[in-house]
Amino acid sequence: MNDNVVVRTRDLWKIYPQEPEPVQAVRGVTLEIARGEFVAMAGPSGSGKTTLLNLLGGLTRPTRGTVEVAGNELTALSNRALAALRLESIGFVFQAYNLLPVLSALENAEFPLLLRGFPPEERRRRVLEIFGEIGIEGLEARLPGKLSGGQQQRVAVARAVVGEPALVLADEPTANLDSAASAALLEMMEHLNRERGATFVFATHDPRVTERAHRLIRLVDGAIESDVRQGPQRPPPAAA
Amino acid sequence: MTRAGGTSRSATPPAPGRSGRARIFLALAVRNVRRNARRSLLTAAAMILGLAVLMWTRAIADGAHESWVTGAVRIGTGHVAVEAPGFARSGRLTDRLSAAQLDTAEAALRAPGIAPLVRAVAPRLTVSALASSAAAAVPVRVEGVDPAAEAAFSALPASTVGGSFLAPGDRLAAYVGAALARRLALGVGSRLVLTAQSAGGEITGQMVRVVGTFQSGLPEIDEGLVYVPIATARTWLGTPGAATALAVLLHSSRAADRVARAVRHDLPPGMAVLTWPQADPALASAVRLDDWSGYAFLAILFLIVALAILNAVLMSVLNRRREFGVLQALGLTSRNTSWVVFTEGLVLSAASGVLGIAIGLSVTWLLWRHGIDFSAFMQGDISFAGALVSPIIVPEFHVQQVLLCLGATLVIGVLASLYPARQAGRIDVAEAMKFDR
Repeated sequence: MNDNVVVRTRDLWKIYPQEPEPVQAVRGVTLEIARGEFVAMAGPSGSGKTTLLNLLGGLTRPTRGTVEVAGNELTALSNRALAALRLESIGFVFQAYNLLPVLSALENAEFPLLLRGFPPEERRRRVLEIFGEIGIEGLEARLPGKLSGGQQQRVAVARAVVGEPALVLADEPTANLDSAASAALLEMMEHLNRERGATFVFATHDPRVTERAHRLIRLVDGAIESDVRQGPQRPPPAAA
Repeated sequence: MTRAGGTSRSATPPAPGRSGRARIFLALAVRNVRRNARRSLLTAAAMILGLAVLMWTRAIADGAHESWVTGAVRIGTGHVAVEAPGFARSGRLTDRLSAAQLDTAEAALRAPGIAPLVRAVAPRLTVSALASSAAAAVPVRVEGVDPAAEAAFSALPASTVGGSFLAPGDRLAAYVGAALARRLALGVGSRLVLTAQSAGGEITGQMVRVVGTFQSGLPEIDEGLVYVPIATARTWLGTPGAATALAVLLHSSRAADRVARAVRHDLPPGMAVLTWPQADPALASAVRLDDWSGYAFLAILFLIVALAILNAVLMSVLNRRREFGVLQALGLTSRNTSWVVFTEGLVLSAASGVLGIAIGLSVTWLLWRHGIDFSAFMQGDISFAGALVSPIIVPEFHVQQVLLCLGATLVIGVLASLYPARQAGRIDVAEAMKFDR
């Protein structure tokens, strides 16, 4: 396997049993995503974007086909191993931010590191560094309810990248944000992609996201209709 | 600048063990309980009330039982009785303790670990007899007692309705139940004859004079008990220095087993040690029955409390599906997610449990430490299983009650949290995220 490939799927299917006919949410998707890519998966509602994202994140198991993330064949992993892989190698950003309401911004962002056993000083150092990079320094002690939507989403992105995962999956991250906040968020994620080499994969129908993506995969009825490289391409970083 | 994608594993420290994650879950649980303060308080209120009621009812029930037992043993054979083996069954003078055996038993009761538990000790020489007067003859139980010791032991000296109790130095004196006195047409100063089988097997009579009458409220006592000085009884029955029992009154009936064990250990063979449940199985059964009926009521109460907590925790889980989805997306296993909810239920139960116990103890102590007077609800004397029911019940506090409440808290917490925890662990993460849209 090419060390620069973070995601590889082969003939990936997800079929939901449903009356009167099963729903084929993802149909035979085969793709590779290299480390450091900034990829958008676009398509109309029901095209299978979110389902494919869930398959890549190990949140849903495929009906058939294979998914590899950071060299791990997800279908072969137990639920426990899958959870460990998500913790170590995958970051998630959701449409509704989904911060834990009882934790402060700093605690939310450091939560993956806490679960992984990082010492408090290291957790704090990493989070403060990212908060500084993405412009939300000074908000560490605030609870999610005291943050704006854009600020919450930045904290969610910080949480997704703080553990330096192999892959960051973002499902409609700008859907709940106004234009200015969306632009700022995208700028910030591009920055993290550029400076930290984080691999981003978006499920989106927001043209602001698809325009800025370096690679655009269009899905229709669960299958890839087109896969186009469109933005500035970065040479992949050397393998670790 | 650090780089993502593949470099993370080498930088990862060892993952926290079970205790590390348990601390994280506990912190999350505590914050979640505090986050929904109103819901938590309402849920906790059920538990607090339940436990407070448990504390009150146990303290009052234990106080009532102690009152029954004390009332019964002060008229009967004490919390602990040292006897000759076989006396409890035969009731015959042939099964008696010698003077030397009495000395040995009294010495055992003076042991350092036991003496502080003992309130009074009284030797008794008991025999079935026929009491005769000019008016009638009635079968009775005659107790030869040491007047001084009995005054500190028995409730009867304080129940005098005519004359007075036996005095040290009295010889041919009798202290009889008021109902018996009426039946034999006796008054203070009247003579009666007691006839019984002596230790030698002969029928022998003793004339005594009534010095006082008592009314205990227990018909079988008032109609059939005669106290005489033990010295008189010994002479009359030919049992010098002997007694059929050494009755021991303790400060608390709960110490009976401990004292009996210690005394039994110190006594030579040929002497039996009985606790009050062995000497009075009917009373012990009555206390057990009352205890279990109380427990049955409390079990129903706590089932209702558990259902209230289950409902609150389950509703909370159903409302937070997305949150549990996030936790699993971040890397918690479904079992971890269950633990988060389970811990939350336990935290809520434990906090309300401790508060409930504290309130229950405080209220019972502050309001009723001097006793609750039920005399307004009782008309005349009421007896139960051979014991006079006191109209004033003084609640009793024991460590066991607190342990019982803590146990109840734990059981309720576990029962009420298991199902919601299982539900939280079984959510479909992808579906939970979709839930938001």
